[in-house]
Amino acid sequence: MASWHLITAIIILYLGLTLGIGLAAGRRTSKSVTGYVAGDRAFGLLVMYFITGATVFSAFAFLGGPGWAYSRGAAAFYILSYGVLGVAPWYFIGPKAAELGRRRGYVTQAQLLVGRFPSRFLSALIAVLTLLAFVPYITLQMRGAGIVIEAVTDGHISLPVGAALAYGIVVVYVLISGVAAVGWTNTFQGIFMLVIAWCLGLYLPHVLYGGVGPMFERIAAERPELLTAPGLTATGDAWTWGGYSTSILVSAIGIQMWPHLFMKAFAARDDRIIRQTVILFPTFQLFLIPVFLIGFAGVLFPETPPNADFILPFLILRTDLPALVVGLFCAGALSASMSTGDALLHASASVAVEDGVRPFRPLGDRGQRLLMRILVLAMGVVAYYFALDEDQSLVVLLLTAYGIIAQLAPPVVAGLYWRRATTPGILLGLLAGSATVFFFFFLDHLRPLDLHEGILGLLVHVPVLVIVSLLTPPQEATHSRCFVDLEPLQAGGSGEEMSA
Amino acid sequence: MTLRTLRALTAAFFLCFAALVTWPGYVPFNRVEPLILGLPFSMAWIALWVVLSAVALYLLDRAEQRKRED
Repeated sequence: MASWHLITAIIILYLGLTLGIGLAAGRRTSKSVTGYVAGDRAFGLLVMYFITGATVFSAFAFLGGPGWAYSRGAAAFYILSYGVLGVAPWYFIGPKAAELGRRRGYVTQAQLLVGRFPSRFLSALIAVLTLLAFVPYITLQMRGAGIVIEAVTDGHISLPVGAALAYGIVVVYVLISGVAAVGWTNTFQGIFMLVIAWCLGLYLPHVLYGGVGPMFERIAAERPELLTAPGLTATGDAWTWGGYSTSILVSAIGIQMWPHLFMKAFAARDDRIIRQTVILFPTFQLFLIPVFLIGFAGVLFPETPPNADFILPFLILRTDLPALVVGLFCAGALSASMSTGDALLHASASVAVEDGVRPFRPLGDRGQRLLMRILVLAMGVVAYYFALDEDQSLVVLLLTAYGIIAQLAPPVVAGLYWRRATTPGILLGLLAGSATVFFFFFLDHLRPLDLHEGILGLLVHVPVLVIVSLLTPPQEATHSRCFVDLEPLQAGGSGEEMSA
Repeated sequence: MTLRTLRALTAAFFLCFAALVTWPGYVPFNRVEPLILGLPFSMAWIALWVVLSAVALYLLDRAEQRKRED
């Protein structure tokens, strides 16, 4: 079993390198909350680009993407469709949020919202919803890391041990270095993943079918139902257009609302960088193409993996690749999982402390950083618990989380663009929308036309927000104009954070 | 062309994108043949919109940038 040892050695080397970069990055930022959460607002284009890119290229894309293309065919195309749609509006919203962050010292999106709509309850509500959405997302990344390690080491390192090993390292550098570690490790891992994905995406169809075109011709002849949307469901029946289309919409609406992405508006050095990241985002989205090719390459493969999410490591181990390449692949897939997982852990702890605790209990800078670190550990443990007994597909885990996170979009848009929005409108809208999501999540057979529960939530959320806002007295014009028209803050202006 | 028009055009572009990759706008393009660069047409169609998005955002940004420098 010499090859197994070589693979393990490569993985250990890679994990060590990641740890080193993560720790080195933290030495350059200040020991303040702004340093830990928002990197002293000093991220440049390269780092911002890969932070955004890493979210596309998570374990979700690297394992879930091929898993879906393999088992559900064109259903996976929804993943290719939503990213750019969701990120494009950020060209305008991102710099606006960043400007308010600089003026008023915000480091989370709840602080921005509570600045406009003063309510400690709103702050806590956003923190709770965010953490609920984060758990399945982090669980997915951990399972991804575990799956890769277990498959590639041929079971010598089991899923639980593999996940614990990879995430032990993530927790260490996030604990010590904060967001700076996330930024620099993502850059390193991002470059690594892109190379691996394109190489494998072109190599596997070539070695198994003689090229991408011949592969699709054979699939078209033998399994044509896989090549046209909406593809199949997990059980192999035809998926519905309602489910497919609303999965695109809910993900597009939700993607920028993820705190780990939203909060990076506060970490960017200037607005130019935020805009450039948006313009370059489609280039990252295209890396889903090789990922799908990998999944499609498995369709006509004679053997079947134990679970669709295993298709990528499964194929690699059966195509006589040298151990060195397998080791590098394993490291690439781990990158995918870890580069998203670290951002998620970091963001969830930041949100829990900044939005869930601080509005109620004043904390010093040191106390805050300490509590965040405890929470990074706690979130890691909770997600790990779910990662151990869970047989949901990786993509399904993420789609569920999107239903909740998309509910943050109406408050953000209203907060920055609608003067007439009021605090009661925002609160009731958010409560009604989230309640609807949970209702249809648990009673999914009641969903009309198989629409995604997140979209159903928004269909309730937006009218409630608008009607209640119009029925309640408007905010003071000087206050709402600070946010909607970016008018300069007036001395002693209303609506400053209550804990200040 | 004024910046205002360009912004409206960009918004219209992304609305078209959304409409043409979901039901019912996607239906006419949702087919296997012809293969484009080896990819099924249904997949290449979405990839095309992703590429066009980069161009659209770049053009918008160039105009916005000029405006900011004035």
